[in-house]
Amino acid sequence: MYRNLTIKQKQIVWAWAFLALPVLFYSVIRFYPTGNAMLISFQDWNLLGTRTWTGLDNYTTLLSDPVFWQVFRNTFIYLLLGTPVSLVVAFAIAYHLDKVRFMHGFLRMLYFLPFMTSAVAMAWVWRWFYQPVPVGLFNNALASLGIPQVNFLNSTTNALPAILAPAVWAGLGFQVIIFMAGLRAIPRSYYEAARIDGVSTWTVLWEITLPLLRPTIVFLVVFSSIGFLRIFDHVFNMTTNNPGGPLNSTKPLVLMIYQTAFSSFDMGYAAAQTVVLFIVLLLVSLLQLWIMRDR
Amino acid sequence: MADLSIRDLVKRYDKTQVLHGISLDVQDGEFVVFVGPSGCGKSTTLRMIAGLEEITSGEVSIAGRVVNNLEPKERDIAMVFQNYAIYPHMTVRKNIGFGLRTAKMPRADKERRIDEVAVILGMTDLLDRKPSQLSGGQRQRVAIGRAMVRDPAVFLFDEPLSNLDAQLRTQMRLEIKKLHQRVGNTIIFVTHDQVEAMTMADRIVIMKDGHIQQVGTPSDVYHQPANTFVARFIGAPSMNMLPGVVGNGGKIRLDSGAEVTLDTGATPGQAVVVGVRPEDLYPNDGPALVRGPVLVREPLGAETLIYVGREGEEVIAKADGRTPPEVGEEVTLTAALGNLHIFDAETGEALR
Repeated sequence: MYRNLTIKQKQIVWAWAFLALPVLFYSVIRFYPTGNAMLISFQDWNLLGTRTWTGLDNYTTLLSDPVFWQVFRNTFIYLLLGTPVSLVVAFAIAYHLDKVRFMHGFLRMLYFLPFMTSAVAMAWVWRWFYQPVPVGLFNNALASLGIPQVNFLNSTTNALPAILAPAVWAGLGFQVIIFMAGLRAIPRSYYEAARIDGVSTWTVLWEITLPLLRPTIVFLVVFSSIGFLRIFDHVFNMTTNNPGGPLNSTKPLVLMIYQTAFSSFDMGYAAAQTVVLFIVLLLVSLLQLWIMRDR
Repeated sequence: MADLSIRDLVKRYDKTQVLHGISLDVQDGEFVVFVGPSGCGKSTTLRMIAGLEEITSGEVSIAGRVVNNLEPKERDIAMVFQNYAIYPHMTVRKNIGFGLRTAKMPRADKERRIDEVAVILGMTDLLDRKPSQLSGGQRQRVAIGRAMVRDPAVFLFDEPLSNLDAQLRTQMRLEIKKLHQRVGNTIIFVTHDQVEAMTMADRIVIMKDGHIQQVGTPSDVYHQPANTFVARFIGAPSMNMLPGVVGNGGKIRLDSGAEVTLDTGATPGQAVVVGVRPEDLYPNDGPALVRGPVLVREPLGAETLIYVGREGEEVIAKADGRTPPEVGEEVTLTAALGNLHIFDAETGEALR
């Protein structure tokens, strides 16, 4: 029977033969649970008992839950602070590292190292950095300079940026590598032509380098936004005694989902939060792709 | 517009020396083409003139001013790159105008200059397009436009036609030549294509391994090549090289057995190479320079190239296009004595 197919049909048969496994995997491991989570978000379920249909109850509870709004705000602060800061820092490093020949590989390795380090180990080391005197590195340094102590993790205003810092640092290596690849892809003659035209370094940066890096920037903005919207491990590990504290000031959406699901066993409510996160991720990604689309 | 001169120019990268002290004077308004095989140092020389490469030693001066330590922008030059280096995210107008970014002139003047250049290059209606909407030849024109808009003393072209297809290359060649006749600026043009060099140049500079082999008009380098390298490099198909030995009384005995009598000034017993261009070598009943069977024929229409002689030692000759000899036919090839070039076999230098 196979022999009687046209070449085109045979190609289709082979394509689907190879696609069968991933399709199966995605259906069972990805799409089914996603659909199921959406279903559960309209139900009441404690993980063991029966599921009961509650309609939009979970969503109305969510909208009137002050903790949810606090958490929603936190998540967006992580996003709106983390993405630009990490991109600007990563670009600045990549831009200069690209020009350095001396120990280039070694320096690049140093920047990439945090990306390969376990987030848990990193979070705990930074947690130690942030302790008060005589333990914490930062406060000891401040004390020796005669500057008053800073309350890093126990302050409702300082805790979030304090947790964001190692998260930014952890992702930096990856972003630097991608930026450098993007910079390398710009033909040298563009810069040489600009040199002959005699335009300033700033003009070259703003009018040649950055516009030509647009695809790289779009990729990194989307990629790092998704990362910051899903931040969890750094927060959880740096605030273990009171996850997301103090007073929910560092709690991101994913941590709230985790607590609702596996501390309160309120699966329906957690699923509703997951759906909200899903929609937020979708909208943010689509918005960014639309803003940065190639005109 | 200005003259340009190079004195004992040397370029060294760490231990490898790529330019061995070349000197050249270019007249105001002259069209000079640097030609040579890849790695001969022609592009390096151009980039040193432009200021994109550091000068190891020697001197470059433009309009009587030594420019060794001047930034490219201060040298009053403009350059057209092989890949055009036009910015894909800018319109044609912005690309052409980029060369005027630092010029101190009112905005309206800049716009007028851009429009003038666009008229000369015939691309007024393309000014608002992006480079991706242009053909190869049009992109090339934008690159030239960006150089022209600055009205530099010297134009530098770095193999600007090698990314174009054959037909477009011929067309652009002509356009650049016309442009030069119109604007009259000094032009230094680098290429590896000897046809481009011959057709465009006022003077050709032939380079090899970081040395200048010969400088001269297209006619000079074609008819009086200074050495075997130039003789082979210029002209297609290449010049035939027939080894021989000088005998008494100006006789040269070729390895093939033929004899020619020529006043060369060479000492008897000296090994020489007799060069003869394919178009100067043709089937005739005169005194034989080469005799042998026709191995291959290449009809070109007006004439037919024939490969004559023993396999591996064949020479190329031109036969009539209508009645060429058959493959396998024994032919006798002759050439006018005045069209023979004699080179020293050892040094390759021309003896006459």
